[in-house]
Amino acid sequence: MLKEIIRPFQYKKMKHLKIEDSQSKNKQKSKNYFATLKRIWYFLSSNKGLLFLVLFMVFLSSALGLLGPYLVGMAIDDYIVTRKMDGFVTLLVSLGVIYVFYSLTIWFQNYWMIGIAQDTVYTMRMRLFQHLHKLPIPFFDKRQHGELMSRITNDIENVSSTLNSSVIQIFSSLLTLIGTVAVMLWLSPLLTLLTLIIVPLMFFGMKWITKRTGPLFKEQQRNLGELNGFIEETISGQRIIKTFSQEKKVTAEFLEKGERLKAAGFWAQTYSGLIPKLMNVLNNLSFAIIAGIGGILALNNMISIGVIVIFVEYSRQFTRPLNDLANQFNTLLSAVAGAERVFEILDEEEEFKNERSLHELPQVKGEVEFKNVTFSYEEESKTVKNIDFHVYPGETAAFVGPTGAGKTTLINLLSRFYEVDSGGIFIDGYDLSKVKKESLRKYMGFVLQDSFMFQGTVRENIRYGRLAASDDAVVEAAKLANAHSFIVKLPDGYDTVLSQEGSGISQGQKQLLSIARAFLANPSILILDEATSSIDTVTELKIQAALQKLMNGRTSFVIAHRLNTIQNADRIFVLDEGRIIEEGNHDTLLKKKGFYYQLHGKAAASGI
Amino acid sequence: MLKVITYLKPYRIAVVIALILMLTELGVELVQPFFMAKIIDEGIQVNNLSAVMKWGGIMVVFSIISFAAGVINSFYAAHVSQNFGFDVRKALFEKVQSFSFANFNQFPASSLITRMTNDITQIQNTVFMSLRIMLRAPLLIIGGLMMAFVVNVKLALILSAVIPFLFIFLIWVMNKGRVLFKNVQERLDSVNGVMRETLTGIRLIKAFIRRKYEVSRFATANKELKDRTVTALRVMEVAMPVLLFIMNVSIIGVLWFGNMQLNTGEVKVGEVVAIVNYATRITAAFSIFSFIIMAFSRARASSSRIVEVMETPVDLLDRKDADSVFAVKEGKIEFKNVMFQYPETETSAIDDISFTVQPGQTVAILGATGSGKTSLFQLIPRLYDVNSGQVLIDGMDVREMKMESLRKQIGFVPQEALLFSGSVKENIGWGKENVSMEEMMEAAKDAQIYETIKKLPNQFETKLGQKGVNLSGGQKQRLSIARALVRQPKILLLDDSTSALDRRTEAKLLLALKAYTCTTLIITQKISTAMEADQILLLENGKLLAKGTHDSLLETSKLYNEIFSSQSREESRNYA
Repeated sequence: MLKEIIRPFQYKKMKHLKIEDSQSKNKQKSKNYFATLKRIWYFLSSNKGLLFLVLFMVFLSSALGLLGPYLVGMAIDDYIVTRKMDGFVTLLVSLGVIYVFYSLTIWFQNYWMIGIAQDTVYTMRMRLFQHLHKLPIPFFDKRQHGELMSRITNDIENVSSTLNSSVIQIFSSLLTLIGTVAVMLWLSPLLTLLTLIIVPLMFFGMKWITKRTGPLFKEQQRNLGELNGFIEETISGQRIIKTFSQEKKVTAEFLEKGERLKAAGFWAQTYSGLIPKLMNVLNNLSFAIIAGIGGILALNNMISIGVIVIFVEYSRQFTRPLNDLANQFNTLLSAVAGAERVFEILDEEEEFKNERSLHELPQVKGEVEFKNVTFSYEEESKTVKNIDFHVYPGETAAFVGPTGAGKTTLINLLSRFYEVDSGGIFIDGYDLSKVKKESLRKYMGFVLQDSFMFQGTVRENIRYGRLAASDDAVVEAAKLANAHSFIVKLPDGYDTVLSQEGSGISQGQKQLLSIARAFLANPSILILDEATSSIDTVTELKIQAALQKLMNGRTSFVIAHRLNTIQNADRIFVLDEGRIIEEGNHDTLLKKKGFYYQLHGKAAASGI
Repeated sequence: MLKVITYLKPYRIAVVIALILMLTELGVELVQPFFMAKIIDEGIQVNNLSAVMKWGGIMVVFSIISFAAGVINSFYAAHVSQNFGFDVRKALFEKVQSFSFANFNQFPASSLITRMTNDITQIQNTVFMSLRIMLRAPLLIIGGLMMAFVVNVKLALILSAVIPFLFIFLIWVMNKGRVLFKNVQERLDSVNGVMRETLTGIRLIKAFIRRKYEVSRFATANKELKDRTVTALRVMEVAMPVLLFIMNVSIIGVLWFGNMQLNTGEVKVGEVVAIVNYATRITAAFSIFSFIIMAFSRARASSSRIVEVMETPVDLLDRKDADSVFAVKEGKIEFKNVMFQYPETETSAIDDISFTVQPGQTVAILGATGSGKTSLFQLIPRLYDVNSGQVLIDGMDVREMKMESLRKQIGFVPQEALLFSGSVKENIGWGKENVSMEEMMEAAKDAQIYETIKKLPNQFETKLGQKGVNLSGGQKQRLSIARALVRQPKILLLDDSTSALDRRTEAKLLLALKAYTCTTLIITQKISTAMEADQILLLENGKLLAKGTHDSLLETSKLYNEIFSSQSREESRNYA
């Protein structure tokens, strides 16, 4: 029992999130903070007209909000204390009218603001998503999917809930504040000054708290993102987790990440929870001060009782917007923490940057040339070195070599998923670094190593190769790829929904669908990267003819381990450790009795 | 909602403390106007300055007490809500870990992810708010009313007349909100889903330049999320103006009747002032109500989504009488008339298959794509249960073993090399506790990946991105083979896991595997691999078409001959 009582005070301080003491850093911080707010404003401001209407409504409701208590004070002072009845009804009726309009203005401002806020959030999500699609492949290599997903849900959610309420709150608080101070000054400058005593106290208290909550909110969102990433991976990797029966290990890791989120969340909530408490105590203090000193003043007949009553009401009206502002500041910080993580992605450089000055690649014949190309994924190890080759239109080129020799890398460079470190790639003589990437990919068709299927029907998945393709064309492509026979056996044929987890069809069948996709795309340059690796050899033989037909008249690049797939290639490039070590066609390479001969000979030897 | 609330139980002491502290704060807040009335009635009106000072001083002391209570409450509330969130998340995660694949098909991955983060955050925040302000609002209203009754019964009656209607209205709004917010969370799932697909399929999307198509898909999901959110929020936001109006009308009532009663002398001026004051306080409490009902509706929607997962019956569990001492010792595998069909499909994936694999044997499984090879594999570690027949290991039905003791002895290498983000070392050692560096190096060498690792920038410490990007397909496959080998399994299942290896490397790998004393099942497309096996199983359309050695199958099976000739063509050309 005692343990449970003292437990809340035993959380480890988040020392690594030291509150920045140095002046310069602090400035930097607040500068970032305002920069982020400015960017949120940029998104908001597309709805300027409506926003203006909302502000107008806020203005009205604030004014009515002030007028209400004023009339109540009047009712007490002029009618109740004096026990007068003349005109009392009129006063109450006008009070009623004010209340009606008060409620209406509040309703309108909320109604519009929700629209604006959700519009803003919608645009932010869209922008984030669109931007993601413009980011280069290397960006995705390093990120966890779930971590990125967290930004589009959890982080934007933070922004969303803040915008829904905060904008209105902040404006109405500010207006109420100004109005109240004005009326209070008019009623009694002395009491007003007394009420204002608490303002500096509030200011310092707020500063102390928000300095801590800001970084804590960020930490919390970061941890939540990491947790999201972890969850996503464990769901994608269920098959492995189960067969290795590592549920306990995974859960332990999950709990560790959960603990970290918990600690950050605890401090963020505790500190931010202090704000209303601080405001409350100051509120009560001012109440006491006004009552006490007001009492003295009233005794000396310097003010009337009615004024004290009104003042007490106003001092509440005065501290409430301050209180709200303080609270809003806090949710604003949590929104900023979320928004910063969104902007972090928006600030990543897109792969089409500086492409405006580049030209579109015209219809290509398919001549491909690599000139002294060098590239590495990471600084230290060169993945491919000094690659030189020339493939003429309509030819089939094959890359062979041990795994990790750099075959797929060359394809990645040709399709410009990655940028060469040095050297150049030319298609029909056009330097690829001088044409728009998408205009290049338009002419290329791919069957990639992992055949990815989207959640959707078989038909939709094949049609991904050419969105405008007719149903007949889809079936035609499936037939060419030898996929038709298994598709019609599926429960709903072409309309069978493939779940993303890919249950229902086998790996080899997915490859057949990918090939059908490429058939449909009808590209000038065709890339087959281990396109048939999971397909049994009998089926492969059956589609070989179709693949041959597909390659006919197009420049094709083929990567395959099964050498029969590549024997007919016009040019075979043998790669080892990132270099082209041999080049020729099947027969000349065999005659050479070099690396290819070895690869092939050994394979054959172990085969028969 | 109730089921989720039970997770608060371990923290009931902290909850009680937090609530007591909150009540303390509330109490102070409620007596404030009472002091105020005292100051006016006993101090100012009768010219008694010392009474003003006395009551003023008491007020200050009380507000400091309330501040202290508020600060400590913050600690308890944060403690409870964070631990509550943590516990629910843990329970949910553990539940999901126990899911069978059939269970996984019931929930899209993206939805499970949203439930585990976003939905729990919603409830967690609501718990925090409840412990701090939420109960305050109703209590403030009740307390305010009670104080009003203490001050003057007649005037208080006017105030309380409207309150039952308000509660009914609020409950109506809340019920509506729960449904609406459930919609919102569901839309969030689909936004998350499109996002996840984009991330997984980004290469394909770029290769086919489907950026605009994907964006339009996302726009649809996003638009729906927006629309549902707007609808839900707008319904919620109607509550506040309505509440404010009703309360304000009751203030007018108090003023009217107050004035009348003053004339009859039943009411004092100070009393009217105090009751108007209470009425404004109650109104203020109602204005945070719109916020509260929003939070509560959301929390209810979210908890129903969480409960949905928690209450999903797991259809693949250890039997109660599962043998807890059994451990795979020899690795004999037996299939007896096994039938298997994926849930919600019409045709069976495995149709009456029987075979026996003796301990230490190597068996190759061949067959066309979609013939049921992988399905057959999945029955051995019991990823799915058979529909009829039996899968026996060392003579015992796999359903009678504890899943953990069964799977511990199995090394599984899937078709698609699935790696986790982390270092190379973490990935190899992933499947075994307390694995030593030597063991990992040994496994890496046998899997023919050691040399490659040596060349990586940080060798075994090199970080891999999610799914091992930046490694070639073959390298990923070999890493996942090393991960299986490091466990020194009694049964090794290789699901076409050498497809991206060149033949030289593959031959070396197969040679190295011979040193392991385990029963090995290999799904392969290559005759050359199959030839090395003690037994070959040939599958077609879920049926076992033929079994035997290479030579006997050459004689008896037409399909095997077909496969053989499809592959020997290149060889024969080679020798020609």
